[in-house]
Amino acid sequence: MHGTDQAAPTRLAGPEVPALEASGLAKRFGSFQALKRVDLTIYPGEVVALLGENGSGKSTLVKILSGYHDPGPGGSLKMNGVPVPLPVPLGQARTVGLSFVYQDLGLAPDLQVVENLFIGRRVTSGVGSFARIRWGAERERAREIFESYGVSLDPSVQVGRLRPTSQALLAIVRAAEELRRHRGAHEQGGGVLVLDEPTVFLPEHEKVFLYDLIRRVVADGIAVLFVSHDMTAVREIAHRAAVLRDGVKVGDVSMATASDADLIELVSGHRLDRAAIEAATTHGSDAPTEPGGEVVLSARDVSGGRVRGVDLDLHAGEILGVAGLLGAGSEDLPYVLFGASGGTGRLTLPDWTGDVAELDPARSIRLGMALVPADRKAQGAAAELSTGLNMLSLSLKSFVRHGFLRVDNLIGTANRRAETYDVRPRNAALAMAALSGGNQQKVVLARWLEQKPRVLLLHEPTQGVDVATRHQIYELMRARAAEGVAILWVTTDFDELATVSHRIVLCAHGAIAGTMAPPFSRDRITSEVYSAAARGAANEVRTAS
Amino acid sequence: MTTNVASPRSRRRFNARVAEATMLPVAFVVVVAIFGLLRPSTFFQFSNFTNILGLNSVELVLVMALLIPLTNGDLDLSVAELSGMVAVLVGWLNVNHGWPIVPAILVGIAAAAICGMVNGAIVVRFDVNPFIVTLATGSVFDGIAFWLPDQQTIPGISPRLTQWTVLHHFLGIPLDFWYGVVILVIMFYVLTFTPFGQRALFVGQSREVARLSGFNVKSTRFWGFAVAGVIAGISGVISDGVLSTATPQNQGTLLLSVYAAAFLGLTTVQPGRFNAIGAGISVFFLAVAVNGMNLLGAQTYVQSLFYGVFLVVAVVLSRMIARGRAASAAT
Repeated sequence: MHGTDQAAPTRLAGPEVPALEASGLAKRFGSFQALKRVDLTIYPGEVVALLGENGSGKSTLVKILSGYHDPGPGGSLKMNGVPVPLPVPLGQARTVGLSFVYQDLGLAPDLQVVENLFIGRRVTSGVGSFARIRWGAERERAREIFESYGVSLDPSVQVGRLRPTSQALLAIVRAAEELRRHRGAHEQGGGVLVLDEPTVFLPEHEKVFLYDLIRRVVADGIAVLFVSHDMTAVREIAHRAAVLRDGVKVGDVSMATASDADLIELVSGHRLDRAAIEAATTHGSDAPTEPGGEVVLSARDVSGGRVRGVDLDLHAGEILGVAGLLGAGSEDLPYVLFGASGGTGRLTLPDWTGDVAELDPARSIRLGMALVPADRKAQGAAAELSTGLNMLSLSLKSFVRHGFLRVDNLIGTANRRAETYDVRPRNAALAMAALSGGNQQKVVLARWLEQKPRVLLLHEPTQGVDVATRHQIYELMRARAAEGVAILWVTTDFDELATVSHRIVLCAHGAIAGTMAPPFSRDRITSEVYSAAARGAANEVRTAS
Repeated sequence: MTTNVASPRSRRRFNARVAEATMLPVAFVVVVAIFGLLRPSTFFQFSNFTNILGLNSVELVLVMALLIPLTNGDLDLSVAELSGMVAVLVGWLNVNHGWPIVPAILVGIAAAAICGMVNGAIVVRFDVNPFIVTLATGSVFDGIAFWLPDQQTIPGISPRLTQWTVLHHFLGIPLDFWYGVVILVIMFYVLTFTPFGQRALFVGQSREVARLSGFNVKSTRFWGFAVAGVIAGISGVISDGVLSTATPQNQGTLLLSVYAAAFLGLTTVQPGRFNAIGAGISVFFLAVAVNGMNLLGAQTYVQSLFYGVFLVVAVVLSRMIARGRAASAAT
């Protein structure tokens, strides 16, 4: 055993067996080392926060624990002192005492609370498949369980009708019960509950219910690994924080001694020169780098989805980065502005002024807007149709000659475009699914750029795209901006934002929380975004109470 | 180096694609050969072939009704009942009410168009599953078909209609076959050579992609159902001409046979896409097989058995083709 944890748990003394003891966990994807020999120890009854920005290796670590990834050789895992062979059998993590709650909670919204709680383990009488489900007894049992966790939920209500917070409570209770059962079956302690971003979409003032529940679970002797961006939540319930950056564990600190600034510094790797940052943000809006182009999109008090009351001016020729944590509202902004997800507020474009509610995608396209969605599979392109058709789907009419759509001309044009945008392989007749993620994205970009939009709304435009292609996309966008296109770039990849943005707005809790002017660095953006989120959370609690 | 590795593989892929596209025509030839050997005297008669071509025009037309909704990703289960209802309606107006045949036909087809639009409007407006909606409206059409003539067969529909469907020939084949061919060509044109057809592909593949591309998903789906209604109406009129009577009856076998043909068509000509030519060939493939079995002395219930089995086979085959493509795309 060669644990490198500097900080002992503040909570308990005495020689205790760790609930989870991982060492040397590593994972490589091709040439990219996502996780580099990370050690992690969690003691029973302890909450350890796992911090790190996107791409820091957090989700890779969680996926190794869940069995989704096979870690590289040299890694080892002990649960409650017992070595567990790696990889953890996929879907069987609970058999070694690990239980997970993900952001999407994994509940069936159409079923009742009790059905979700006992999924796969109904209270029955009888044998095997002939067993009869005892609904009454089951509800009674559910009530007892909820009571034991101090949660008030009606077992017979449909899950989809519950508030998001109640759904999260249900998911956590279910996972904790799984661990209780595991402990009962093996007559031992231990058990680790992994909470992966469970608070992202919950209203700030309701998160206390979650904290209370987690404290109860912990009082039971269960250990919790709390993966989150949410500094307030981490501050509230974690005893210790493990911080990842670029796949390396850069810190393992006791929450009793670490300040918020310390944590932000660890996460971002950025020495906070507080005075300098203050200066940069306060002078950001009237900095000399203010773009000179005319305003081509002006939003006033735009709301919709998680976006609330956003004011925004987008200038011709600028790349405006929007930085926000997951759930901050930035991820909804492009769709709201495009009229694809409903919303309200005033929007002014060169040829049009009106309410966002009057827009729909067809109209937005006519007005010179283009949207590149993040979810390429579901929203960006039709995987089974040809590359050429996907690339030229917006200009089909221009290939009609004498009443006939000339597919051969279309494929020919698409092949020339494939040359321009460097889509490989250069065969536009191939199905989209045959291309790599990066090339698919180039096809999607080509489709929109060929419309000569004046406003380009990008959401995670390099998600699932290899490094080389990424830089091609940056170059492409810079060139378009230089030609006068206004680009709104929304991503949680702050490295990317630092690379491409002329100006950055910070988004927190659905609203614009500040503007940054260059010079940008990933670390500076990260620390600004976390600070903005923390400020916003404080405000929200104040106004809600 | 890489070309050395790639070329046999791509050749193999090309061969696989050719094999895939020609599978059904080859099976067609084999079936014809088998029945020809077993019943050379009757099967290979010219009149037998013109019969097959002339007597399956109802199916040939009706399968065309399915193609746009299927491309849009919608199932329309009401087409066969609608066809039956229009057949009865036209006969009822013509015989029971003494209408001249032409206005009766026009009213029948207009009614079919309205029924198709009702299907489309319900599906699009309330965003409900078309499978269930058209299952239900199909039952309504069926009810109307029995109700209008008080469950009686309507005999003696205008002989002019019969003349213009089966009695007049072109190139030795009854006219109704050519009506089917005309609709087939139009459908082939719409699906392959118009922006509407290509947009329908996107709508069927991914509603979200289509919506964010500014396509009017709702209108595409609505018109799919409306066109299906019109074509189903035409097939009903043709059935009046072929039989010169209209009988309210259960249309389950007809529905099954056109779905079997549509999915079988998915495996050929333009594999992976619902296409008019493939569907047309499939109609006659199934018809020849049934005809051959009848000549061998099989009972009529064999049709039900046969269409059912072939629908399953066709769906499985089309699924395998889709998987094969995904696998070859992954390599």
